[in-house]
Amino acid sequence: MRVNSNDPEKKEVVTRRAAVFGGGFGLLLAGVGARLFQLQVLDHEKYQRLAQENQFNTRIIAPLRGEIVDRFGKILASNRQNFRLLLMPDEAGDIEAALDRIRKFVVIPDDKHAKLLREIKRTQGYAPVEIVNNLGWDDFSKINYELPHLPGAHPEVSETRNYPLGNATAFMIGYVGAVTERDLEAPENENQQLLLRQPGFKVGRDGLERTYEKELRGVAGSMDVQVNAHGRVIEEIEDSIKQPTQGETLGLTIDADLQLAAMKALEGESASAVVIDIETGDILVLASTPAFDPNIFTKGIPTDLWRELNESPYKPLLNKPLGGVYPPGSTFKMITAIAAQRAGVDPSFSVHCNGKFWHGNRFFHCWKKEGHGRVDMKNAIKHSCDVFFYTMGTKLDIDQIAAVASELGLGEMFELGIPGMRNGIVPSRDWKRAHYAGTPENQIWFPGETLSVAIGQGATTATPLQLAVMTARIASGKEVRPRIVRFRGDLELPTPHAPHLDLNEEYLQIARAGMNAVVNEPGGTAVRSAFDNKEWKLAGKTGTAQVYRITDEERRRGLTKGEDLPWSRRDHALFVCFAPYEAPRYACAVVVEHGIGGAKYAGPKAKEIMTAVMTKDPARLKAMTPGALAQNASRAREG
Amino acid sequence: MASIILPGPRRGIQDQIARLHWPMIVMLTMIAGAGVVTLYSVGGGSWSPWAGTHALRFAFSTFVMIVMGLIGIRYWMALSYPIYFVALIALALVPLIGDVNMGARRWIDLGPMQFQPSELMKIGIVLALARYYHGLRAEQVSHILFLIPPAIMIAAPVGLVVLQPDLGTAIMIGATGAAIMVLAGLSWRLIFLGAAAAVGGAIAAFRFGVLHDYQLKRIFTFLDPDSDPLGAGYHLLQSKIGLGSGGLVGKGYMLGTQRELNFLPEMQTDFIFTIFGEEFGFVGCVGLLLLYFAVIMTGMNIALRARSHFARLAALGVCVTFALYVLINTGMVMGLAPVVGVPLPLVSYGGTVMLTIMAGFGIVMSAHMSRDADGTAL
Repeated sequence: MRVNSNDPEKKEVVTRRAAVFGGGFGLLLAGVGARLFQLQVLDHEKYQRLAQENQFNTRIIAPLRGEIVDRFGKILASNRQNFRLLLMPDEAGDIEAALDRIRKFVVIPDDKHAKLLREIKRTQGYAPVEIVNNLGWDDFSKINYELPHLPGAHPEVSETRNYPLGNATAFMIGYVGAVTERDLEAPENENQQLLLRQPGFKVGRDGLERTYEKELRGVAGSMDVQVNAHGRVIEEIEDSIKQPTQGETLGLTIDADLQLAAMKALEGESASAVVIDIETGDILVLASTPAFDPNIFTKGIPTDLWRELNESPYKPLLNKPLGGVYPPGSTFKMITAIAAQRAGVDPSFSVHCNGKFWHGNRFFHCWKKEGHGRVDMKNAIKHSCDVFFYTMGTKLDIDQIAAVASELGLGEMFELGIPGMRNGIVPSRDWKRAHYAGTPENQIWFPGETLSVAIGQGATTATPLQLAVMTARIASGKEVRPRIVRFRGDLELPTPHAPHLDLNEEYLQIARAGMNAVVNEPGGTAVRSAFDNKEWKLAGKTGTAQVYRITDEERRRGLTKGEDLPWSRRDHALFVCFAPYEAPRYACAVVVEHGIGGAKYAGPKAKEIMTAVMTKDPARLKAMTPGALAQNASRAREG
Repeated sequence: MASIILPGPRRGIQDQIARLHWPMIVMLTMIAGAGVVTLYSVGGGSWSPWAGTHALRFAFSTFVMIVMGLIGIRYWMALSYPIYFVALIALALVPLIGDVNMGARRWIDLGPMQFQPSELMKIGIVLALARYYHGLRAEQVSHILFLIPPAIMIAAPVGLVVLQPDLGTAIMIGATGAAIMVLAGLSWRLIFLGAAAAVGGAIAAFRFGVLHDYQLKRIFTFLDPDSDPLGAGYHLLQSKIGLGSGGLVGKGYMLGTQRELNFLPEMQTDFIFTIFGEEFGFVGCVGLLLLYFAVIMTGMNIALRARSHFARLAALGVCVTFALYVLINTGMVMGLAPVVGVPLPLVSYGGTVMLTIMAGFGIVMSAHMSRDADGTAL
């Protein structure tokens, strides 16, 4: 070994090889330098641009949704600040410990806790997760105070939709809900993808919120932000802010006070009420009970609540004034009376009622078994005598009745912008032909059917809104058209033109006189619905729509009264009215499902509602205009 | 102590210190200083968590290097096989008692500190092969029988490190070993045969699934970086953006946006050159590369001036290891080499690698101090 250790030949080889290595290293390093030159000098601009694209991102600033106000500017839908707490998992360190610290200040139920942990795992900690929302101000400020001790916690203020009247406006205004895949694909949302994908963004799901989505949504603003590799915002670039534009305010014809009064009058019933300003067609009240609270729906509808609402026999999800169709019963008798006059029957024509009427090969019964004796047209309305109107039914062709019914608004869809509206049925020869299109043998119209229609039974159906319109038209002689939106943003919508009906004023006057007698003359069917204030006069008509025919067998067992039947088999109770009788201004229709009798159950509710209407007399008050609303808003900002 | 230190006539400790290769120490300190400066920026303008620790570690490692340099080269020759075997046994023990970290088992926990046997092996393989060739005659180097021991000496640790799995370190150990064999005078015929065998082995490794998925993915990504811009190719793309956007003179110290915005993973270790390049530009990068080049040239110069064959080969081996680190890391961050997790020596954060490198330079320093000793006697 000693001999070889310093072998000069070995030294020579190593020196040569080391030179090769040194040279090779030099060359490779030069290669690295060349590559650096390419990246940093030649392609510098390209990478500069890529670095900037990395850094900057445009962030959408969601607009505030437009408010919805009643005719006097009272808020029906607005935006409320929602205090929520987000957690940035990658800033929090130990997630469990972070959640435990937060739990000292806010309640996180165990199942929610487990869900959060799963969500954080799924997002790998890069996305913020919502720990709680709708925090109270106390909790929110406590968290803000403790923030230095809560790493990763980010308190945030966002907006949620608020409906101060709760269930009272649920059906007309609807509610907002989370954006779905279908919303994203809808053609009208083509340029709105970024906005719709904002966390927590909501769109109108039902009612006016849905129909006026475009107007209420507003225009998104934007801001350039500097982001890091995980898309987290590092800095907001102040100069780049484009402020969002709040959605348009929707001014409704509704009177919030009267709406609440109507909801109260109908409480506990499955019922609906509509009040219309006869001169303008403004819908003042559009009430439906029972109703849901849209404030709960906005946060996402709990499954068990949804099931409960869906399965309830009181149909709380049905918009009854617009989507509920009922046989109008005796409230239809004004139409028959007008049609008879137009067909040449003199109003003084009288009929002797003995409780039943023979036609074809069977008896048609009057509601009063012992009969009304001799009645003329006005008294027939006053007493709601069926035999008189059966008689009219024999003198009239069905199409003559249908023409008047249509003239008065039955069977017509009034486009209010609220989904779920139905048009009901005005029976006529044409209708029957269309209805039985597949079975020609059923298309023939029988004279007996005209008798049923004459007292508002048979196939005839109408919505409470149509009944209110009918009443308004009888009262005014004009083609009153209902509306619910008064203005939209700065645009005041004109009052619909109401030309005179193609009906002789005298014919209508008999109907009105009859309705006055119903309430204000002794022996009328709804005398107990007369106003307590004797200066006002209500004119009305009761109606009872048969749901279930009591069999002869049941009659023999002594079951004659509706109260003895189970709820779902009881008759619907209806009442239509207008006031003041001398100078009609307000028309009202009330339907109480399975309410047994119009006089006993619907009339008093109509009286209660109309008393509230007459007391406030909203037509007399100056309604809110877009200009005044904007002034109030700017004054509120300055104040 | 004095008897160990003194290779020749008795000299005082101050004398010894003065004889150290100070230009080398200054250059190493400058490189480590670049590391501290960059780590300060990576830490968002803070000494913690990296820059301060890095400076302290470098101070400690420099102390280790000087102490090792003061030990005569003969002692290192005597210790070369023992060091190699300790490292080999420790490597064999890792699968049994090591800690799992990031899916790989590389560490042995020694209570207060962690010990990475593969790092010790980087020194061990250099010492052992230098010691082996020290004892061979020139004509024996390419003899087939004398090829077997070094082949086993290289294959054993490389195999164990691949199993951990740590491809980067395995390549480093294998390449260093092969380089020493070439330096020792292996015939060119054998060199080409060996290179062919290495390529064949690499292909076999692909075929028979020795490599883990992530290792394969890194290699494929290297071959076609645009195939997966948001997956494995993402880091490479972001690294190129960082370097390229730095331009000629850089964005300025502490002004790198790629760094600021966390677009790169492992900024303090594998991708630190990107951050350096983003903030100091082409000029800064070339300056740093020239420093590396100067260190290696100086180291090779020291090696070739040593009288002992062991000292020559050991010091050259250290230089080769150092050069490999520099080439693989810089090549990796700009897309010239696969991303295999090799740090930039003395700049990247990491205590074990720094200690290994400085210990290596301790051997170089010892070769310098003992340049007149021929290594024929202890």
